[in-house]
Amino acid sequence: MSDHPSPRAAELGVPAGYYDYPVVKRPVWTWEVPAYFWLGGLAGGAFLVSSAAELFGTDEDRLVARDGFVVAAAAALPCAPLLIKDLGNPQRFHHMLRIFKPLSPMNLGAWTLAAFTPVTLARAAAEAGRAGLLPGPLAAVARLLPRPLMNAAGSVLGAVLAGYSGVLLGATNIPLWAKSKLLGGVFMASAASSGVAAVMMAAARRRAPEKTLHKLSRLGTLATLGELAVLGAFLKQSGRAADPLVKNAFSVPFWAGAVGLGSLVPLVLEQVAGRRTGKFTRSLLTVSAVCSIAGSFCLRWTIFEAGKESAGDQAASFGLSRRTQA
Amino acid sequence: MIDAYRRFMNIEAPPAPQRPKGFFTDTSLCIGCKACEVACKQWNQLPADGNELSGNSYDNTGALGATTWRHVQFVEQAKANNSRVGQRWLMMSDVCKHCANAACLEACPTGALVRTEFGSVYVQQDICNGCGYCVPACPFGVIDRAPKDGHFEAGRAHKCTLCYDRQKDGLEPACAKACPTDSIQFGDIEELQAKARRRLADLRARGETSARLYGMPESTEAAEVGHLNAFFLLLDRPEVYNLPEVPRLPRKTMAQRYAISAVVGLAFAALSAVAFGRRSG
Ligand code: SF4
Ligand code: SF4
Repeated sequence: MSDHPSPRAAELGVPAGYYDYPVVKRPVWTWEVPAYFWLGGLAGGAFLVSSAAELFGTDEDRLVARDGFVVAAAAALPCAPLLIKDLGNPQRFHHMLRIFKPLSPMNLGAWTLAAFTPVTLARAAAEAGRAGLLPGPLAAVARLLPRPLMNAAGSVLGAVLAGYSGVLLGATNIPLWAKSKLLGGVFMASAASSGVAAVMMAAARRRAPEKTLHKLSRLGTLATLGELAVLGAFLKQSGRAADPLVKNAFSVPFWAGAVGLGSLVPLVLEQVAGRRTGKFTRSLLTVSAVCSIAGSFCLRWTIFEAGKESAGDQAASFGLSRRTQA
Repeated sequence: MIDAYRRFMNIEAPPAPQRPKGFFTDTSLCIGCKACEVACKQWNQLPADGNELSGNSYDNTGALGATTWRHVQFVEQAKANNSRVGQRWLMMSDVCKHCANAACLEACPTGALVRTEFGSVYVQQDICNGCGYCVPACPFGVIDRAPKDGHFEAGRAHKCTLCYDRQKDGLEPACAKACPTDSIQFGDIEELQAKARRRLADLRARGETSARLYGMPESTEAAEVGHLNAFFLLLDRPEVYNLPEVPRLPRKTMAQRYAISAVVGLAFAALSAVAFGRRSG
């Protein structure tokens, strides 16, 4: 290390810190956490896109929004089980809701998920009712559900769910997660691009009108470009704290999976698809959507795991807590 | 109302706050005997952590954790050629700092982590659901979750309780009681702070110019986490003991982080609205 924190240690040529021991504890969380952040983000993003399509779009767009709400509900459903499975004492999961403490992002997130999940389920049920998939009395109930209200509530809750996960990781003392303040923005952008992709995937499969597909594809391109921009800024600000992500242990899944598969491939495919129509274009957009969704998981997973690695980086911890930030 | 509710639900009234108590750990007196580690394990009935030799001086404990609430560090400062000149062996008994602004307590979503009437930070074992958020929140790497498949209080977070049970009975914590050199002193925080200032002046006067206090209300490390209810007299810079120069309190940057995330979210919402606007496409 160049700047030596102890003149005495420098004079003796011994290390600055205490052996190579970590300063902070390695997070105990496992794969369920990034999986939940990924699905929660996707659900939030898909819900928001669908609401926008319903509010601002043409009649054709509205048809696609219906599928979008179902996709959002399907993605939201496994979130709570994943979150619960990761707890040290899963049978006490409800202790998260014994208090309301928004100061703790974990508590805020638990409440958001607890509110978002039923809204998405109800919203999907309303669509199922409209499509005649529900038996008589249930369909009558589903018809009574206030759609615009659900759209508004679900969009706000979904956006919170998409972004809070990055804030949650950022509000710790783990160098990679905490150094830059942009992680919440990165996760939000990734949720946006994967949410659009999920709706596009459903739309392409369901033979949605070409015009709507093109709108989704263009929105996906913009969201992906935005995601790359925020991610770039995040990496730049993180500096050497990001080494486990960009250089060491998780560089391959990060560059190939999160950036290549998740962003670059969809950008190219969406360009190739352009304004073309036909079966081949639909397949292209489907592949693009699948890549974007898979890349979004890679992004959460690599940042999560690389963060755990960076907890062991003594020098990065010191860098984070110096009076004059290196 | 509240009182009636409490009676009805059979809830005890919270204990009245006392004058805050804490530890002053004077590392200049530590002889590395680890009596504190042993006394802590015994009193709190914490299981052993195995018999591995680290090869790093006499430190075979390694770190604080779910079952290790005192950890004696051995810093060897010696030239590579083993010359005795300038050689120093620093020892320090590390412990949970019971921060005035505790990151672990603020992060805890269940309210399991509380501030006790003695000013210490305490995990209520019947509330903690093992979410693990306190673990990366602590700037000192103190608190940890016991393994889910372990035998000791599986899947819940643990750390020093400042011997809450002993304090309830007017006893000092086990480590302070056991320390043969009074390197660990327990008492009224304000009195300890005064004592520490006197001790520092004394050491400086005797030529120990690199001595410093860590965790006093006026010192730089208190900028975010506040003063430490377990504070230290050190003989070198904090980082030599793996202590951060300015421990961070995650709450301080949280609003900015939410704001950035919200800006990105709003930008996306606006893009979506434009993308589906009837005139486009
Ligand atoms: S040292 Fe860590 S575990 Fe102890 S009170 Fe402070 S933040 Fe909590
Ligand atoms: S692991 Fe327990 S004490 Fe730690 S934050 Fe979660 S609920 Fe609170």
